[in-house]
Amino acid sequence: MLSLLWSGVVTGCLYALGALGLVLIFKSSKVVNFSHGSLAGVSAFIVYASSSSLPGLPWAACVALALLAAVAIATLTYVVIAPVVFESDLTATVATLGVSLVLQGVVLIVFGSDIVSLELPLPRWSMTVAGLRVSAYDLAVLGATAAAIALLFLVIERTRLGIAFRAVSASPFAARVCGLSIRSVHLFSWILAALLGVLAALLIVPTTFLSPTTVASFMLQAFAAAVLGGFESLPGAAVGGIVVGILVNLFTFYVSPEFTNSFLLVLILTALGLFPGGILSRRGGSRV
Amino acid sequence: MSELALSKGGSAPVAATEPVARAPIGAWGDIACVAVLATLPFVLGGFWTYSIGVALANAVGVLSVSVLVRFGGEVSIGHNFFMAAGAYAVAILEKRWGIPFYLSMFVAPAAGLLLGLAFAYPSRSLSGIYLAVATMALGLAVPEILLQWSSVTGGFEGLYVTGHLTTVVSKDLQHYYVALLILVAVVYALKRLRHSRQGLALLTARSHPRAAEAFGVTVSWARLSVMGISASLAGLSGGTLAFVSSTVSPNSFSFSSAIFLLVGSVASFYALSLPAAVLGAAVITLLPQYFATAGEWVPIFYGAALLLVILCGNAGTSALRRAAAWLGVRHV
Amino acid sequence: MSDIAGATRALRAERVSLAFGALQVLFGVDVEFPPGRITGLIGPNGAGKSSLFNCLTGLYRPQTGKITFGGARLDGLPPAARAGHGLARSFQHVALCSEMTVAENVMFGLTRHGKAGWASAFLPLPAGARERADARARAIAALELLAIAALADKRVGELPPGPLRLVELARAIVGEPRVLLLDEPAAGLNSLETRDLLAALRRIARPELVMVVVEHDMDLIMQLCDSIYVLNFGKVIALGTPDEIRRDPEVARVYLGADDA
Ligand SMILES: Nc1ncnc2c1ncn2[C@@H]1O[C@H](COP(=O)(O)OP(=O)(O)O)[C@@H](O)[C@H]1O
Ligand SMILES: [Mg+2]
Repeated sequence: MLSLLWSGVVTGCLYALGALGLVLIFKSSKVVNFSHGSLAGVSAFIVYASSSSLPGLPWAACVALALLAAVAIATLTYVVIAPVVFESDLTATVATLGVSLVLQGVVLIVFGSDIVSLELPLPRWSMTVAGLRVSAYDLAVLGATAAAIALLFLVIERTRLGIAFRAVSASPFAARVCGLSIRSVHLFSWILAALLGVLAALLIVPTTFLSPTTVASFMLQAFAAAVLGGFESLPGAAVGGIVVGILVNLFTFYVSPEFTNSFLLVLILTALGLFPGGILSRRGGSRV
Repeated sequence: MSELALSKGGSAPVAATEPVARAPIGAWGDIACVAVLATLPFVLGGFWTYSIGVALANAVGVLSVSVLVRFGGEVSIGHNFFMAAGAYAVAILEKRWGIPFYLSMFVAPAAGLLLGLAFAYPSRSLSGIYLAVATMALGLAVPEILLQWSSVTGGFEGLYVTGHLTTVVSKDLQHYYVALLILVAVVYALKRLRHSRQGLALLTARSHPRAAEAFGVTVSWARLSVMGISASLAGLSGGTLAFVSSTVSPNSFSFSSAIFLLVGSVASFYALSLPAAVLGAAVITLLPQYFATAGEWVPIFYGAALLLVILCGNAGTSALRRAAAWLGVRHV
Repeated sequence: MSDIAGATRALRAERVSLAFGALQVLFGVDVEFPPGRITGLIGPNGAGKSSLFNCLTGLYRPQTGKITFGGARLDGLPPAARAGHGLARSFQHVALCSEMTVAENVMFGLTRHGKAGWASAFLPLPAGARERADARARAIAALELLAIAALADKRVGELPPGPLRLVELARAIVGEPRVLLLDEPAAGLNSLETRDLLAALRRIARPELVMVVVEHDMDLIMQLCDSIYVLNFGKVIALGTPDEIRRDPEVARVYLGADDA
């Protein structure tokens, strides 16, 4: 039971990273980004391709390459959908589906539909604390997530773009006040989201394998986490990710490993019914 | 404009009844389209009759997504769920109780309706993006339900639908013309909806929810209604597809098929006319056959088509708007 | 100010306060709009006139205060239920559906009177056809009252803003409401159109109808209204006949000074 919870928290961290990206993008540009998972998948493939075809290249360099590619793709994606961002949430959201299809197609053509494995350069180390097996992978996930979230909040709280981001998500007219264009704030959030997505993808792939659809198939967990958090709240997304991680883990173990998506469907519908503003806002609301 | 507003004395003659044939081009387009489609089986061979029959069934599915966009301002990437519900309803009713298609074709939309209402209920008063996100879960849940619940659904293999309505006409022609008939009936019903009291209420609720509320139409009623209509059309589409293709299997209702349905709807510019729906369905049904040897290009093609239509559509309208402003239309 | 019978059919707001976060928009506003009279509601931009309308129709939820119509409590009711009490309104920012025709937009104003069910929305049933023809006739009548019946079958998206205001007005009156709240009906109209509007509004007025007009056009307000409320920074600063309001030095300073009318 305890180990179920623990591994739920660990995978939950990854869903949280995915959800944070979705919420970042939604808060600034009111777009539900369905291409988020495909972009992360492309980046994971870039790490795989560069580390397997250039054996001399250090792992960190491969990751740097993937991060660069992610920034480039995120920028390109935003440039492509920029003309329709202010149109309506619907049009831009459909456009991200188009981007997602293109990215998936590119992966299919360049890397084929074969299943490959991609490991992290981590020691095969683990220890047992109070009956709980904690592996190096677990600590790496927790550490990376904590660092990423800390960095994210630092960027949002301290940098000029971060402040503009907060202003824009409160009111779209506010960016002018900070002397920054709305476009650059949008781009800022899309790039941050892409970086978080790559991180989540690299951490999640070792637990399964890598195929053109693996990473995208984890998107539903990230979306569920974002909905649980209210879709507008960064802390909500983080907490939502961990809640989803734990619940999915318990469901898989006690009920069935085959109905994960159906479970997430029920979870999303239940969350919408019970906590329309997100789990955090509801709690805050009842306290007042 | 102002002279119109002032011509009080010579009150212009206004027909007391609506000029229903106000869009004669649209009506003639529909009629011509029906005529062409009705003769196709005699012109093309049996293979094409089958393929186009499938496209006609899919056209109902394309319309189900377009209805959601046009009347609700919402998108779905989970309509494979309601299509599967309709298709499996037809197949299971026949397999278990021998119920023929002319009865089960009413059960298919009913199944879609019930599931659609149940699905939309939790998000009925929230912003449309929640619905879009939830449809993703809906679309992804279909394959695992169909595969795992194999005692009912036949698992990976699926189920066969042997039914035909009469022995007088060949089975292929029956399939084709029943699909055509259902599609025409759906287009007709949607044209009526557009002009009905409910249709006007839905359109107003989509474009100005507060105005709709102020006149007694609740937004949650509108959202449930639109989803109900859309899901029952998807159910009907699935049922027709089962009848036309004589089989149902998880493959036909994958998550991608829901996305392709949306691609078809975008490619038809969300129009609720017969030619548009057939065009959208042709894009998603017939084109993959051309790409049969190069399947990995299909997603790129659809993705690019989606972006092209959206971006060009946007460039088109904004160019028009700019031209109008330049001509001073706003300052009349 | 009004007789007993009139007072019981009046629309009242008592101590209505509304805030958006830290921004206090209405400070305990008390107003009474009696039937059979045309009441003006004026004040500079941002005074809270539209917000007060939104509170009356239920689109905004005031933090405190009581709203009654003919003795029935309205606060707590959602907007759609208030429409059922006979409230109808026009919007300052035209809120018509641009892909529907003028007549269809006006017919929408009758939607809560409709009885035909879903079957007649899809199928050619006589009940639906009759209801529809009747609705269209009433919509045309409302448009004729405003002298824009010639536009009935134009799509709203292709019309300039002037006539659109009148379409908004037609949609509000077509359902024979008991309360008519008009938010800047003359904005965007030229002087001839405004004159026609004035005549039309006088024709619309009936002994049992509560009618409130928010307007910046002082000539229109002064000619049209029986009494006028003046709102400034979310507070009622004056109430009186047009003549009293015209002579009120406070109003002149606050309102006319702020909004060079
Ligand atoms: N939905 C809202 N959210 C935040 N502030 C609002 C909202 N509606 C109105 N306000 C504010 O309330 C004040 C009054 O606005 P309004 O009622 O539109 O004034 P008026 O109609 O008299 O010009 C303005 O300061 C406006 O910014
Ligand atoms: Mg106003």
